[in-house]
Amino acid sequence: MDTDRTTGERVFRRDPDLPTPEDIRERVLALEEAGEWIVQRVPQPYREVPTKYGWPKKVPLQHTWHHKSCGQCGHIPGYSTAIFWLHRKLGLDYDDPRDQTSCTGWNYYASATSNAAAQAAVAARNFAAAYATGYFPLIHCGTSYGHYKEVREELVKHGELRRQVREILAKLGKPLVMPEEIVHYSEWVYAVREEIAARRVYDCSEVVVTVHPACHYYKLVQGDAIYDPDIYGGQRTAVVTAVAKALGAQVRDYSTWFDCCGFGFRHILVQRDFTRSFAVSRKIETMIEEAKPDVVLTHDTGCVTTLDKSQFAAQVHKKKVGVPVMSEAQFAALAMGAHPYRVCQLHWHAADYRPLLEKMGIDWRERWREFEEDLERIQRGEKEYLTWEDVDAEVPARHFLPVS
Amino acid sequence: MPSDVVLVIGGGPAGLEAARGVADLGARVVLVEERDRLGGTPVFEQYAALTHGFQDAEEVMDRMVQAVVGHPGVEVRLRSKVVSCEGQVGSFRVGVQRLEDGAPATVEAGAIIVATGFQHFDPGRETQVYGYYEYPDVITLADAEAMLKAKRFVRPSTGLPPERVCFIQCVGSRDRQIGNEYCSKVCCGIASKQAIEIRQQVPQCKVYIFYIDMRMYGYWENEIYWPAQEQYKVNYIKGIATEIIRKGDKLLVRGEDTTLGRPLEVPMDVVILSVGMEPSKGTREVAKVLGLKQNKYGFIEVPHEGVDPVATSVPGIFVAGAAAGPKDLDDTLSMAGAAAMKAVAALRRAAVAGAAG
Repeated sequence: MDTDRTTGERVFRRDPDLPTPEDIRERVLALEEAGEWIVQRVPQPYREVPTKYGWPKKVPLQHTWHHKSCGQCGHIPGYSTAIFWLHRKLGLDYDDPRDQTSCTGWNYYASATSNAAAQAAVAARNFAAAYATGYFPLIHCGTSYGHYKEVREELVKHGELRRQVREILAKLGKPLVMPEEIVHYSEWVYAVREEIAARRVYDCSEVVVTVHPACHYYKLVQGDAIYDPDIYGGQRTAVVTAVAKALGAQVRDYSTWFDCCGFGFRHILVQRDFTRSFAVSRKIETMIEEAKPDVVLTHDTGCVTTLDKSQFAAQVHKKKVGVPVMSEAQFAALAMGAHPYRVCQLHWHAADYRPLLEKMGIDWRERWREFEEDLERIQRGEKEYLTWEDVDAEVPARHFLPVS
Repeated sequence: MPSDVVLVIGGGPAGLEAARGVADLGARVVLVEERDRLGGTPVFEQYAALTHGFQDAEEVMDRMVQAVVGHPGVEVRLRSKVVSCEGQVGSFRVGVQRLEDGAPATVEAGAIIVATGFQHFDPGRETQVYGYYEYPDVITLADAEAMLKAKRFVRPSTGLPPERVCFIQCVGSRDRQIGNEYCSKVCCGIASKQAIEIRQQVPQCKVYIFYIDMRMYGYWENEIYWPAQEQYKVNYIKGIATEIIRKGDKLLVRGEDTTLGRPLEVPMDVVILSVGMEPSKGTREVAKVLGLKQNKYGFIEVPHEGVDPVATSVPGIFVAGAAAGPKDLDDTLSMAGAAAMKAVAALRRAAVAGAAG
């Protein structure tokens, strides 16, 4: 280790001679060589990002098959639409499939909800559906992402499971496919953060952010998570923080940074108030007391859901809560000029986000008036629902890749 | 033509003791050291007191270095590195390169003693969330040793004496997740010794040691472990510390108190990580150059450790000290003596065989 003991400046430098844990991707490719499955390769153009043990990970920029989150679509739909909106404004093509299923994790730790063969088959079915389109799966939900990484480990290490899943998929007329990388949308946001920052229209320099990193992202199957020497010295996972910093926001630390939000590990099924208490007492109250954030940013469905919605009940009990919570995708979209209601759908959120919008200079009253007009048009039967046509013109797309 | 030279690689305690031993037995020694001075880790990392008997490390190492530097039978080559090796016991031809100008040289040796030692586990790696690269007040045993030697044990962030200090044992050792599955042997003794030194130098400071097991071999039990508790009021707490994060101006240490069976969360001013041993870069490089088998942790493999603790996979090449695995000082010096004896015996046998053949 490099230590300058006089200044206390320490810089972590990975020793390339020291062994690292096994890279499961090598075994994924070896199984393809052995004829066990097809490995769908990450399409060009992609960016290589650094991960926990120094291995590069390929993140596709476009041609992505968007594996949506049931929890987002159901409870925080602005999260999903913000992710799509970012792609549209960066001029990156994607597929929003109609034949994707839930990963069946449902924000819980999925192994409690089903059995290994069923879960692996659900995952493999989605991967096969993506493969058939030629678009590469991009996972919207942190729980799905963590769960699929565990499924990958199970399938790699158990030939019997692969056989079972292959048989199930054969009944559906689908091959057994494993993507070369399992990629979370927040890794895509990390990869294009400079392009996002270049399109920022609202000033974020006064915005204080606390970051909550999702357990399903960096604690399950740790080797895949992005660690960047420029963010936390490579000692904590870099996603979310990297884009907040790129947008110029102030990211403040707090003493329960590594704590779970309380949502995703099964106890919500049996003891819901434990989860609410945890989210409020361990995370939100600590953030407010120590960092006084204007917004909490995270990158998983369950985390946004519980950190936001648990504040509602807590307020009744006079807890010191009241900080808006959203995904970094929604925050980035807002900073780029996305409509807070048509695109970011903040009206679904529980904790009051309006002070944040005011601080950023976003006129939420006017935006809400526009949204109410949209609703009146729908009520009058002029249209069935809002579509991309209604929002695309508001902020022009600026391609950064050569348009072929 | 069999050589009457023993090549000793590494000028730390093992190499110094081996070199002096070989020379005292009447053979010639070439001692190659990569750094610009002799003494190895105790000197380079500014050790304060040695765990055994609390002797001053600098005085002890000075004596060891002088015994070699002044010895007519020993030729010392500093800032030099072994880069190639051919031949076999009795007649090795070893390429030694001078580091400043790359000037090559060949040393003909009948036997070789590898004494290239260890390096500390880097607590920024792998699964560690100890914050060594985030918080200046999280330090390692080596950082603490340097402050104790300077008689200035302070909180690095403020420069003021701390009120609460804790040690976390087994950092980078006994850990299946990172592959260092072994015990590093010396850290429990060193932590206890440092705990006593901190209590001596900063009497108002409370000191805690979070341990899994306290490895107090032999006489350490009564010379260190009980005095630490009874005389110096060091608190030993059985538990695993899993996370260190800043809260206000303190460091919060989180973990599990195994005795009480519940989580613990305690504020500290300074956290000292008892980092374990790993093979040094020099050990890894020399193993490859000499064609020595390494064990799965990268240390030099000793085929029948309990019975022949200094042999390697290559006849005529011996190992002494932490290049073979976690060792404390008396292991190291014992191995160095045994290696010196066996190296000289190898020279003599080769000479006899050469004369006969």
